[in-house]
Amino acid sequence: MATIIHCIAGYFFLLLTVRVLTRRPGAQMTLFEFVIVFLVGGVIILATVGHDRSVTNCTLAVITVGLLHRVVSGAKTKCPKLAAVIDGKPLVLLKNGVWQQEAMNGMRLAPEDVMASARTKGVAKFEQISYAVLERNGAISIIQKEEKDS
Amino acid sequence: MAMTDVKTKPVEDLGHKVDDAISVGEDLDFQERWWKFENIVWSIFAVLLVMDFLGVFGRGVLAKAQASTPDGALLVKYERIERTLTPSVMRIYFQPNAAQGGTYKLYVSSSVVQELGNQRIAPEPQISAVGDGGYVYTFPALGQPASVSLSLEPASPGIYHFTLRVPGGQSLERTIVVVP
Repeated sequence: MATIIHCIAGYFFLLLTVRVLTRRPGAQMTLFEFVIVFLVGGVIILATVGHDRSVTNCTLAVITVGLLHRVVSGAKTKCPKLAAVIDGKPLVLLKNGVWQQEAMNGMRLAPEDVMASARTKGVAKFEQISYAVLERNGAISIIQKEEKDS
Repeated sequence: MAMTDVKTKPVEDLGHKVDDAISVGEDLDFQERWWKFENIVWSIFAVLLVMDFLGVFGRGVLAKAQASTPDGALLVKYERIERTLTPSVMRIYFQPNAAQGGTYKLYVSSSVVQELGNQRIAPEPQISAVGDGGYVYTFPALGQPASVSLSLEPASPGIYHFTLRVPGGQSLERTIVVVP
Protein backbone atom coordinates (compact mmCIF):
# COMPACT_ATOMS: atom_id res chain seq x y z
CA MET A 1 0.00 0.00 0.00
CA ALA A 2 2.73 2.46 1.02
CA THR A 3 4.73 1.58 -2.08
CA ILE A 4 1.78 2.38 -4.34
CA ILE A 5 1.29 5.75 -2.64
CA HIS A 6 5.04 6.45 -2.88
CA CYS A 7 4.95 5.49 -6.56
CA ILE A 8 2.07 7.84 -7.33
CA ALA A 9 3.68 10.71 -5.40
CA GLY A 10 7.10 9.98 -6.93
CA TYR A 11 5.70 9.78 -10.47
CA PHE A 12 3.97 13.14 -10.32
CA PHE A 13 6.80 14.84 -8.45
CA LEU A 14 9.31 13.54 -11.01
CA LEU A 15 6.99 14.61 -13.82
CA LEU A 16 6.82 18.13 -12.36
CA THR A 17 10.58 18.33 -11.79
CA VAL A 18 11.51 17.10 -15.25
CA ARG A 19 8.88 19.34 -16.80
CA VAL A 20 10.14 22.50 -15.09
CA LEU A 21 13.70 21.56 -16.03
CA THR A 22 12.65 22.64 -19.53
CA ARG A 23 12.63 20.26 -22.45
CA ARG A 24 16.27 19.50 -22.98
CA PRO A 25 16.60 16.35 -20.84
CA GLY A 26 14.61 14.50 -23.49
CA ALA A 27 15.90 14.47 -27.00
CA GLN A 28 19.08 16.50 -26.69
CA MET A 29 20.63 14.57 -23.88
CA THR A 30 24.20 15.52 -23.20
CA LEU A 31 26.50 14.00 -20.57
CA PHE A 32 25.59 16.96 -18.37
CA GLU A 33 21.93 16.00 -18.55
CA PHE A 34 22.63 12.30 -18.03
CA VAL A 35 23.73 13.27 -14.51
CA ILE A 36 20.28 14.66 -13.74
CA VAL A 37 18.37 11.71 -15.16
CA PHE A 38 20.40 9.03 -13.37
CA LEU A 39 20.76 10.89 -10.09
CA VAL A 40 17.10 11.88 -9.83
CA GLY A 41 15.97 8.39 -10.89
CA GLY A 42 18.29 6.75 -8.38
CA VAL A 43 17.15 8.96 -5.52
CA ILE A 44 13.43 8.55 -6.19
CA ILE A 45 13.70 4.75 -6.28
CA LEU A 46 15.05 4.75 -2.71
CA ALA A 47 11.92 6.44 -1.40
CA THR A 48 9.63 4.37 -3.60
CA VAL A 49 10.51 0.86 -2.43
CA GLY A 50 11.91 1.84 0.99
CA HIS A 51 13.28 -1.04 2.99
CA ASP A 52 11.04 -3.57 1.28
CA ARG A 53 13.12 -4.84 -1.62
CA SER A 54 11.07 -7.98 -2.17
CA VAL A 55 10.14 -9.11 -5.67
CA THR A 56 6.47 -8.58 -4.76
CA ASN A 57 7.02 -4.96 -3.76
CA CYS A 58 9.21 -4.11 -6.75
CA THR A 59 6.78 -5.81 -9.15
CA LEU A 60 3.88 -3.81 -7.69
CA ALA A 61 5.91 -0.62 -8.01
CA VAL A 62 6.60 -1.31 -11.68
CA ILE A 63 2.92 -2.11 -12.31
CA THR A 64 1.86 1.09 -10.54
CA VAL A 65 4.20 3.25 -12.61
CA GLY A 66 3.11 1.50 -15.82
CA LEU A 67 -0.55 1.97 -14.98
CA LEU A 68 -0.02 5.63 -14.10
CA HIS A 69 1.75 6.19 -17.37
CA ARG A 70 -1.09 4.56 -19.28
CA VAL A 71 -3.73 6.62 -17.47
CA VAL A 72 -1.85 9.88 -17.98
CA SER A 73 -1.22 9.06 -21.66
CA GLY A 74 -4.94 8.34 -22.15
CA ALA A 75 -5.90 11.56 -20.38
CA LYS A 76 -3.49 13.52 -22.58
CA THR A 77 -5.13 12.32 -25.79
CA LYS A 78 -8.58 13.25 -24.47
CA CYS A 79 -7.61 16.61 -23.02
CA PRO A 80 -5.33 18.82 -25.16
CA LYS A 81 -4.88 21.28 -22.29
CA LEU A 82 -3.48 18.52 -20.09
CA ALA A 83 -1.22 17.44 -22.96
CA ALA A 84 0.09 21.01 -23.21
CA VAL A 85 0.83 21.08 -19.48
CA ILE A 86 2.58 17.71 -19.47
CA ASP A 87 4.39 17.80 -22.81
CA GLY A 88 4.48 21.51 -23.55
CA LYS A 89 3.92 23.00 -26.99
CA PRO A 90 6.24 23.44 -29.94
CA LEU A 91 8.11 26.70 -29.97
CA VAL A 92 9.56 28.55 -32.93
CA LEU A 93 13.20 29.43 -32.25
CA LEU A 94 14.16 30.83 -35.63
CA LYS A 95 11.77 32.48 -38.05
CA ASN A 96 12.93 33.57 -41.52
CA GLY A 97 16.52 33.84 -40.33
CA VAL A 98 15.63 35.83 -37.21
CA TRP A 99 16.20 34.38 -33.74
CA GLN A 100 13.13 34.47 -31.52
CA GLN A 101 15.04 35.72 -28.53
CA GLU A 102 12.23 35.36 -26.00
CA ALA A 103 11.82 31.70 -26.88
CA MET A 104 15.58 31.09 -26.94
CA ASN A 105 16.09 32.71 -23.54
CA GLY A 106 13.01 31.09 -22.05
CA MET A 107 14.16 27.64 -23.08
CA ARG A 108 17.78 28.43 -22.16
CA LEU A 109 18.97 27.55 -25.61
CA ALA A 110 21.98 28.93 -27.45
CA PRO A 111 22.29 29.30 -31.24
CA GLU A 112 24.91 26.53 -31.06
CA ASP A 113 22.18 24.10 -29.95
CA VAL A 114 20.14 24.90 -33.02
CA MET A 115 23.16 24.63 -35.31
CA ALA A 116 24.10 21.29 -33.73
CA SER A 117 20.66 20.01 -34.65
CA ALA A 118 20.98 21.51 -38.12
CA ARG A 119 24.27 19.73 -38.75
CA THR A 120 22.70 16.36 -37.91
CA LYS A 121 20.27 17.05 -40.76
CA GLY A 122 23.03 17.93 -43.22
CA VAL A 123 22.54 21.68 -42.97
CA ALA A 124 25.96 23.29 -42.83
CA LYS A 125 25.18 26.99 -42.80
CA PHE A 126 22.91 29.17 -40.73
CA GLU A 127 21.78 30.93 -43.91
CA GLN A 128 20.20 27.71 -45.18
CA ILE A 129 17.75 27.56 -42.29
CA SER A 130 14.30 29.03 -42.71
CA TYR A 131 12.67 27.85 -39.49
CA ALA A 132 13.88 26.08 -36.37
CA VAL A 133 11.22 24.64 -34.09
CA LEU A 134 11.73 23.22 -30.63
CA GLU A 135 9.42 20.20 -30.55
CA ARG A 136 7.55 18.83 -27.55
CA ASN A 137 10.02 15.97 -27.13
CA GLY A 138 12.96 18.38 -26.98
CA ALA A 139 14.18 17.76 -30.53
CA ILE A 140 14.84 20.76 -32.76
CA SER A 141 13.28 20.53 -36.22
CA ILE A 142 15.04 22.36 -39.00
CA ILE A 143 13.15 23.56 -42.06
CA GLN A 144 15.47 24.58 -44.85
CA LYS A 145 14.93 27.46 -47.22
CA GLU A 146 13.52 26.64 -50.61
CA GLU A 147 16.08 25.98 -53.32
CA LYS A 148 15.19 29.20 -55.13
CA ASP A 149 15.81 31.22 -51.96
CA SER A 150 19.28 29.86 -51.31
CA MET B 1 -20.83 3.91 -43.33
CA ALA B 2 -21.36 4.08 -39.61
CA MET B 3 -18.22 1.99 -39.03
CA THR B 4 -16.21 4.32 -41.23
CA ASP B 5 -17.35 7.28 -39.12
CA VAL B 6 -16.15 5.60 -35.96
CA LYS B 7 -12.79 4.56 -37.36
CA THR B 8 -11.88 7.70 -39.20
CA LYS B 9 -11.60 11.35 -38.36
CA PRO B 10 -11.44 14.33 -40.65
CA VAL B 11 -8.07 16.05 -40.93
CA GLU B 12 -7.99 19.11 -38.72
CA ASP B 13 -5.60 21.98 -38.89
CA LEU B 14 -3.44 22.16 -35.77
CA GLY B 15 -3.74 25.92 -35.90
CA HIS B 16 -1.12 28.53 -35.06
CA LYS B 17 0.53 28.46 -38.44
CA VAL B 18 3.79 30.38 -38.57
CA ASP B 19 3.86 32.95 -41.39
CA ASP B 20 0.92 31.01 -42.78
CA ALA B 21 3.54 28.55 -44.01
CA ILE B 22 4.16 25.80 -41.47
CA SER B 23 1.78 24.26 -38.96
CA VAL B 24 3.56 24.29 -35.64
CA GLY B 25 0.82 24.60 -33.03
CA GLU B 26 2.84 27.18 -31.14
CA ASP B 27 1.09 28.98 -28.30
CA LEU B 28 3.20 31.81 -26.96
CA ASP B 29 0.59 32.90 -24.42
CA PHE B 30 0.60 29.43 -22.93
CA GLN B 31 4.38 29.35 -23.03
CA GLU B 32 4.69 32.67 -21.18
CA ARG B 33 2.28 31.45 -18.51
CA TRP B 34 4.29 28.25 -18.26
CA TRP B 35 7.58 30.14 -17.78
CA LYS B 36 5.95 32.10 -14.95
CA PHE B 37 4.76 28.82 -13.45
CA GLU B 38 8.29 27.38 -13.79
CA ASN B 39 9.72 30.36 -11.93
CA ILE B 40 7.17 29.92 -9.15
CA VAL B 41 7.97 26.20 -8.86
CA TRP B 42 11.71 26.86 -8.70
CA SER B 43 11.13 29.55 -6.07
CA ILE B 44 9.16 27.05 -4.01
CA PHE B 45 11.93 24.45 -4.49
CA ALA B 46 14.50 27.01 -3.30
CA VAL B 47 12.43 27.82 -0.21
CA LEU B 48 12.06 24.09 0.51
CA LEU B 49 15.84 23.65 0.31
CA VAL B 50 16.45 26.53 2.71
CA MET B 51 13.82 25.13 5.08
CA ASP B 52 15.48 21.73 4.89
CA PHE B 53 18.90 23.28 5.49
CA LEU B 54 17.53 24.92 8.64
CA GLY B 55 15.97 21.68 9.79
CA VAL B 56 12.27 22.33 9.29
CA PHE B 57 12.02 18.82 7.85
CA GLY B 58 14.34 17.33 10.47
CA ARG B 59 18.09 16.81 10.66
CA GLY B 60 18.93 20.47 11.20
CA VAL B 61 19.36 23.18 13.79
CA LEU B 62 15.63 23.87 14.17
CA ALA B 63 14.90 20.17 14.64
CA LYS B 64 17.15 19.77 17.66
CA ALA B 65 15.54 20.21 21.03
CA GLN B 66 16.26 19.67 24.67
CA ALA B 67 14.09 19.69 27.77
CA SER B 68 14.20 18.81 31.44
CA THR B 69 11.70 17.24 33.74
CA PRO B 70 10.17 19.81 36.15
CA ASP B 71 12.02 18.20 39.06
CA GLY B 72 15.29 18.50 37.16
CA ALA B 73 16.08 14.78 37.41
CA LEU B 74 16.34 14.23 33.65
CA LEU B 75 17.62 16.25 30.73
CA VAL B 76 16.71 14.94 27.28
CA LYS B 77 18.20 15.95 23.96
CA TYR B 78 16.13 14.83 21.00
CA GLU B 79 14.92 15.81 17.57
CA ARG B 80 11.47 17.39 17.59
CA ILE B 81 11.15 16.58 13.88
CA GLU B 82 12.01 13.05 12.81
CA ARG B 83 11.93 11.37 9.43
CA THR B 84 10.21 8.08 8.70
CA LEU B 85 12.57 5.09 8.73
CA THR B 86 15.53 7.36 9.43
CA PRO B 87 17.63 6.60 12.53
CA SER B 88 18.18 9.23 15.20
CA VAL B 89 19.29 9.27 18.82
CA MET B 90 17.45 10.50 21.88
CA ARG B 91 19.99 11.08 24.63
CA ILE B 92 18.82 11.22 28.24
CA TYR B 93 21.08 12.65 30.95
CA PHE B 94 20.51 11.63 34.55
CA GLN B 95 21.05 14.49 36.96
CA PRO B 96 22.46 13.83 40.48
CA ASN B 97 18.98 13.85 42.06
CA ALA B 98 17.90 11.02 39.73
CA ALA B 99 19.91 8.35 41.58
CA GLN B 100 17.84 5.93 43.63
CA GLY B 101 19.70 3.42 45.80
CA GLY B 102 22.70 3.02 43.53
CA THR B 103 20.61 2.86 40.37
CA TYR B 104 19.15 5.18 37.80
CA LYS B 105 15.59 4.37 36.84
CA LEU B 106 13.93 5.70 33.73
CA TYR B 107 10.28 5.52 32.73
CA VAL B 108 9.54 5.93 29.02
CA SER B 109 6.05 5.86 27.54
CA SER B 110 5.22 3.03 25.16
CA SER B 111 5.11 5.51 22.28
CA VAL B 112 8.90 5.71 22.40
CA VAL B 113 9.13 2.02 21.56
CA GLN B 114 6.07 1.66 19.34
CA GLU B 115 5.48 4.83 17.31
CA LEU B 116 8.98 6.29 17.56
CA GLY B 117 10.57 2.88 16.94
CA ASN B 118 13.13 2.62 19.73
CA GLN B 119 15.50 -0.01 18.33
CA ARG B 120 18.23 -0.13 20.95
CA ILE B 121 19.20 1.30 24.33
CA ALA B 122 22.84 1.98 25.10
CA PRO B 123 23.92 0.89 27.60
CA GLU B 124 21.62 -2.09 27.98
CA PRO B 125 19.43 -1.71 31.09
CA GLN B 126 20.05 -4.15 33.91
CA ILE B 127 16.31 -4.61 34.38
CA SER B 128 13.41 -3.83 32.07
CA ALA B 129 9.91 -3.72 33.46
CA VAL B 130 6.66 -3.17 31.60
CA GLY B 131 3.41 -1.52 32.76
CA ASP B 132 1.71 1.81 33.45
CA GLY B 133 1.57 2.56 29.73
CA GLY B 134 5.30 2.29 29.26
CA TYR B 135 8.55 0.75 30.36
CA VAL B 136 10.87 1.24 33.33
CA TYR B 137 14.54 0.65 32.69
CA THR B 138 17.01 0.28 35.56
CA PHE B 139 20.71 1.04 35.16
CA PRO B 140 23.46 0.61 37.79
CA ALA B 141 24.65 4.08 38.88
CA LEU B 142 28.37 4.74 39.07
CA GLY B 143 28.21 8.50 39.43
CA GLN B 144 28.07 11.62 37.29
CA PRO B 145 27.86 12.34 34.42
CA ALA B 146 25.43 9.59 33.40
CA SER B 147 23.43 9.27 30.21
CA VAL B 148 21.66 6.68 28.08
CA SER B 149 20.98 6.76 24.37
CA LEU B 150 17.81 5.54 22.73
CA SER B 151 18.11 4.78 19.01
CA LEU B 152 14.88 5.77 17.29
CA GLU B 153 13.61 4.86 13.85
CA PRO B 154 9.94 5.79 13.37
CA ALA B 155 8.07 3.41 11.08
CA SER B 156 5.41 5.81 9.87
CA PRO B 157 4.72 9.55 9.71
CA GLY B 158 2.57 11.25 12.31
CA ILE B 159 2.53 13.39 15.43
CA TYR B 160 3.55 11.42 18.50
CA HIS B 161 3.73 12.33 22.17
CA PHE B 162 6.18 10.79 24.59
CA THR B 163 6.65 10.92 28.33
CA LEU B 164 9.82 10.54 30.39
CA ARG B 165 10.33 10.57 34.12
CA VAL B 166 12.21 9.05 36.97
CA PRO B 167 9.65 6.76 38.65
CA GLY B 168 8.05 8.71 41.48
CA GLY B 169 9.22 12.01 39.99
CA GLN B 170 7.61 14.58 37.73
CA SER B 171 6.95 13.81 34.08
CA LEU B 172 8.23 15.47 30.98
CA GLU B 173 5.84 15.34 28.04
CA ARG B 174 6.87 16.37 24.58
CA THR B 175 5.76 15.92 20.99
CA ILE B 176 7.72 14.67 18.02
CA VAL B 177 6.56 15.21 14.46
CA VAL B 178 7.57 12.44 12.09
CA VAL B 179 7.63 13.59 8.47
CA PRO B 180 7.29 11.14 5.56
